[in-house]
Amino acid sequence: MEPTRLIAELKQIVGVTGVVTDPDALMTYDADGCVMDTHAPHVVVLPTSTEQVSAIVRLAAQHDVPVVPRGAGTGLSGGATPMHGGIIIGTSRMSQILELDLPNGRVLVQPGVINWELTQYLTLSGYHFAPDPSSQKACTIGGNIANNSGGPHCLKYGVTTNHVLGVEMVLADGSVIWTGDGTPDCAGYDLTGVINGSEGTFGIVTATWLRLTRLPEAIRVVLALYPTIAGATSTVSQVIARGLLPAALEIMDRLAIKAVNTMYRLGMPDEAGALLIVEVDGVTDGLDELLNDIVAICWSNGALDVRPARTPAEQVRVWSARKNAFGAMGRLAPTYHLVDTVVPRTRLPKMMEEVAQIAQELNLPVANVFHAGDGNLHPIILFDRRDPDQNERALQAVNRMMLISIEQGGVISGEHGIGVEKQEFMPYLFNQDDLAAMAALHQGFDPEGRFNPGKIFPKTQNARDLAEQRHSMAFADRDVA
Amino acid sequence: MSHALLARQLSELVGEAHLREDPAACAPFALHHQVPALVVEPGSVEEVAQVVAAVAAEGMTVVPYGGGTRQAWGAPVASTNVVVVRTTRLNQVLIYEPDDLTISLQAGMTAAALNATLADNGQMFPLDVPLPHQSTIGGLLATAMDGPRRLGYGTSRDLLLGVQVVEASGRISKAGGMTVKNVSGYDLMKLYTGSLGTLAIIVAANFKLIPRPNAEASLLCSFATPEQAFQLIEGVRISQLTPMALEYVEGLTFAPFTNSTIQVALRTEGLSAAVERHLHELTARTAQAGGQAYPLHDEAHRQLWAQLNDLPQTATVADDELVIRLTTLPSQLALALTRARTTAHELGITLTVSARSLNGVAYLRARGNDEQLRTWHNRLYAHQPTTAVLGGPLHLRREMPAWGQPPTTVEVMRRIKHQFDPTNRLNPGRYVV
Ligand SMILES: Cc1cc2nc3c(=O)[nH]c(=O)nc-3n(C[C@H](O)[C@H](O)[C@H](O)COP(=O)(O)OP(=O)(O)OC[C@H]3O[C@@H](n4cnc5c(N)ncnc54)[C@H](O)[C@@H]3O)c2cc1C
Repeated sequence: MEPTRLIAELKQIVGVTGVVTDPDALMTYDADGCVMDTHAPHVVVLPTSTEQVSAIVRLAAQHDVPVVPRGAGTGLSGGATPMHGGIIIGTSRMSQILELDLPNGRVLVQPGVINWELTQYLTLSGYHFAPDPSSQKACTIGGNIANNSGGPHCLKYGVTTNHVLGVEMVLADGSVIWTGDGTPDCAGYDLTGVINGSEGTFGIVTATWLRLTRLPEAIRVVLALYPTIAGATSTVSQVIARGLLPAALEIMDRLAIKAVNTMYRLGMPDEAGALLIVEVDGVTDGLDELLNDIVAICWSNGALDVRPARTPAEQVRVWSARKNAFGAMGRLAPTYHLVDTVVPRTRLPKMMEEVAQIAQELNLPVANVFHAGDGNLHPIILFDRRDPDQNERALQAVNRMMLISIEQGGVISGEHGIGVEKQEFMPYLFNQDDLAAMAALHQGFDPEGRFNPGKIFPKTQNARDLAEQRHSMAFADRDVA
Repeated sequence: MSHALLARQLSELVGEAHLREDPAACAPFALHHQVPALVVEPGSVEEVAQVVAAVAAEGMTVVPYGGGTRQAWGAPVASTNVVVVRTTRLNQVLIYEPDDLTISLQAGMTAAALNATLADNGQMFPLDVPLPHQSTIGGLLATAMDGPRRLGYGTSRDLLLGVQVVEASGRISKAGGMTVKNVSGYDLMKLYTGSLGTLAIIVAANFKLIPRPNAEASLLCSFATPEQAFQLIEGVRISQLTPMALEYVEGLTFAPFTNSTIQVALRTEGLSAAVERHLHELTARTAQAGGQAYPLHDEAHRQLWAQLNDLPQTATVADDELVIRLTTLPSQLALALTRARTTAHELGITLTVSARSLNGVAYLRARGNDEQLRTWHNRLYAHQPTTAVLGGPLHLRREMPAWGQPPTTVEVMRRIKHQFDPTNRLNPGRYVV
């Protein structure tokens, strides 16, 4: 690479203001929301169009430098951290909503559109984009797609991948593909499906057709407080057994309740050990009876307090406890690390015990906020990063939680992705053959490893080597006895 | 090597009883009239792996085969040395903890057997595949066949959580897991779903389940014209009603409407008050659109859907029949169907249609002579390049692009195929790559 020439050429593509080279500015791109591993890029480029992205990627190929796509940088697994330097392509200027097509329930957007802006834009349309990560006020659609992000309502509505109809992607040679436009069941492999969750390692998404979901006619929410988590989790099982999949089932534990309670004065009783939110939606008919049933189930499971919310205003208030949970953690400790792991739903109580045990043994406070309906835990380890000893213990806690999660039949990430945070855990979940199959798919998109290198696969095993080994062994290791 | 040697090897692997080599015994497994050289039924995942490895080592072609209900799909296999590998002996539930709302099962289990297992626990697998008593879960995934309830519950793509496969080399690998949310590594589930057995053989799958609703019913709405039917459909689209299926059916009659051939079948599920609301409101809307509505419950309701689910089947196709899958953006479906109908009338073709009316997917069965069918298909294809031919007389199908126009992303697909099956052992020539 010849840095000065590269930068001059980049400026020709996007203009002077679209290229960031100031070292202090570059430092702000050295990580996403996961600060365990940091590395600054050589340069950040902020294109506005697909053509510009394509030209940048072609240039990167000529200079043989890595390209790392970046949305808002709210990722929590180091996905947007340029582990090998190179060019960050930031999508902040690709933030246009291009076309709304309600008859086909779809919207065409650029990747830099903020999830919340799209939500706002759709307010009056009667439709919404269902994925609602807690970071929605900041995170981008491109980041949502790359991480296949979820949110509280994905219990009923599914995660990002269930709402992406097609993407435009710039590949490593600068070519541009479109994987779909919403015409269903087209022949060929489901490229849209595999691009979701590929963490920016296949190419850069430069536009996308998203599926819109009709808003429900009615919504009912119940907030219930319990002395212990057990009451909340048994309520969850009974609500599901009632024969209706709720839109959301969220639980917070004592420490998390305390954090939001002090910060937002929500008036929760001190003895509350667990907070449960149940949301159901659909046509109005029958929903109030269902709400009453849920309230009764809550009481019969030992709730201390049950607050049904029928109006939108009440519902916003009820949800604010949950939506502000992460923000309130800053009240409890200088740093927190959010562990994203998921287990089969019935293993949640066991996981909670294990998490508490780990917290106690390592002497670290851990708050819990989780998607109880789909077994997705988010233990939040509270510590002070400046203290090396606490840092070390926090890392140990993460390790142990990951391994226990696998032991309990779970996986290592429910919605935040592998990135660099969890790449070394991949071999605990997948054997070499499993990883090699993933590597093979990767080779179909980005054979040279131009995009976001050093992610997902363990550090010592990049996708290309894995795929090559697989290929060469494919017909040699067969035991045709 | 001769087939005899391979046959001996396979027979040692799976046991004599699970290998067919006699042409007469293999005949029922003919693919586009071509009788395979061997039909083998492995009894375990490891056996599938060994069989695939052995067959590939002989340079022969592997055709993964479940219940055989959609083997008519795609172009004829481009090989004369075919070994059919059946998954039907792999029919066990592997993990089922009802409270997890997930299940792991072997790919040779039929859709009906799966639903029977779930029913005892108040749960369901809402993918209504045609011929569920024969159709296997592996086949359902490989073809990504949809069902009327995709409107409410999506397709296999939305419910598949994990997968185990035997790759072209005979290697076993897995992806995903048993959790309803998972971003641990690439989503290979999406890759295998709908890959028509060209990348690997699916041997096990994990699914998300749905609690059985406490009420369900249907409404059969009958109309004089397709326009009236689509007026109802459009009204439902913009409403906040939540039907689980809204199937448009043309060219067939259903009791009690014995003299009308244009129907919309609504399926509603959920709280009983919500089900009542759907029946009530849709009855009124049907009348407004100029039609008549008839509610169906219990057995009549179940029978209606069993019948509707089977309409797109391709296991039995008449000699003068073409089965087409037409896909459009949802808002263009009515127009596309009008074209198909008008052309059919002009040419004297008999047409039946079953369409997922709000999804933009229609299955068309057309009957006529070669010339009629050829012209009809040509005109359809000219407007709808995604038109796929799923069944019909082989000599005609050879003239037609099985999968419509190649996708613009075919290069990437080719590279993926090359990575997974470099020597083109699996279902060569059958799919887009
Ligand atoms: C407080 C907080 C709460 C959160 N809550 C949730 C939650 O509820 N659910 C959830 O799932 N996540 C949550 N997250 C994680 C994070 O917000 C999501 O992963 C989000 O989707 C990331 O979007 P982003 O725009 O910030 O992407 P970035 O962090 O910038 O990038 C994320 C990944 O996407 C890639 N990428 C970005 N844009 C593109 C593109 N155009 N093309 C290709 N690849 C691209 C990057 O390379 C990187 O690998 C939370 C994070 C925080 C800080």
